[in-house]
Amino acid sequence: MKPIDCELESEVLAAVLQNRWPDRVDASLREHVAACAICADVLAIAGAIDDAREELRARAVVPDSGRVWWLAQMRARREAAQAAGRPITAAQVIAFACAMSLLGACFGATSAWFQSALRQTASSLAGLRFQALLPFAVAFVSEHGAVLLGMAAILLVVPAAVYLTMLRE
Amino acid sequence: MFRETAFTDIQCDSALDDAAAGFMMDEDTFRAFYDRTARGLWAYLARLTGDRQLVEDLLQETFYRFLRAAATYDNETHRRNSLYRIATNLARDVRRRSMARAASVPVGDDIERVPSRQGAGATERMADFNRAMSRLKPRERAMLWLAYAEGASHREIADVLGLRPTSLKPLLFRARRKLAELLGRAPRGGKP
Repeated sequence: MKPIDCELESEVLAAVLQNRWPDRVDASLREHVAACAICADVLAIAGAIDDAREELRARAVVPDSGRVWWLAQMRARREAAQAAGRPITAAQVIAFACAMSLLGACFGATSAWFQSALRQTASSLAGLRFQALLPFAVAFVSEHGAVLLGMAAILLVVPAAVYLTMLRE
Repeated sequence: MFRETAFTDIQCDSALDDAAAGFMMDEDTFRAFYDRTARGLWAYLARLTGDRQLVEDLLQETFYRFLRAAATYDNETHRRNSLYRIATNLARDVRRRSMARAASVPVGDDIERVPSRQGAGATERMADFNRAMSRLKPRERAMLWLAYAEGASHREIADVLGLRPTSLKPLLFRARRKLAELLGRAPRGGKP
């Protein structure tokens, strides 16, 4: 099996990185590199990578550590405020729905006009014959089926879209 | 007149305090750690992505995620590996997203186009090296950079790149062979 590493690899690497290669290393190491494919590869690439590293590090324009810390803190605070705001929003929606229901119930219990209208609607519904309405409903659906389908789709799609948008936010 | 404190204010304030305390280190420790690692990380990200603007964004994002990570580190090396792992994953995500957007849109290479400060010969050598590196797979580039520019051990490289330590040696061997050939060193005992 072909060897994939060499015990002298690190010595060759150290010699290249410390600028000792080729003059300030043992002759035995030079002989080894001449015969070892792995160390020869290390020699070929280590110097080039080290030069590129020096070059890139010299070109690196890194922001000041204080600025990075400050930006990170600002972002953490913003995210925390958003996270804290989310349950509040949900609670506010629930509270609003409860208040509206309560208001509606109070209005229904106290308004004479609403009660008489309700009674009238109930009595007209009781006298209604659903069998007589069936042919009319079938005709309506066959005539405006596409519109009804579109409305049903909107009723389903819009809440789903709103939910997905809120989820992404 | 004092501003009335509502329940929501108290809840938000405590959340903000939690956020400030949620960082895994205090400011002084962070700043010292940043000063030790930022340049090396910048060079690593530059080598992985080749886009100056992207590197700056990724650098900021890497340090932010590092600060927010709920992890404890045994030592500096462990901490540094974690930082490089975050950076590697972010660069990988960016590459995947850009590939998904348009297969033909490469990640920029403006860093490589900046002329070297060390004269024409060095610029040419650097251009050759950049060309050779660009022909390697991103994982091979990362592996070689960590091994030979950052001096990371096999275990550390495997940890950063999410590989098994046992599978790293042959991968590193192949990447090294490939780069040496691209840099003009013919394979020993093989074709010229």
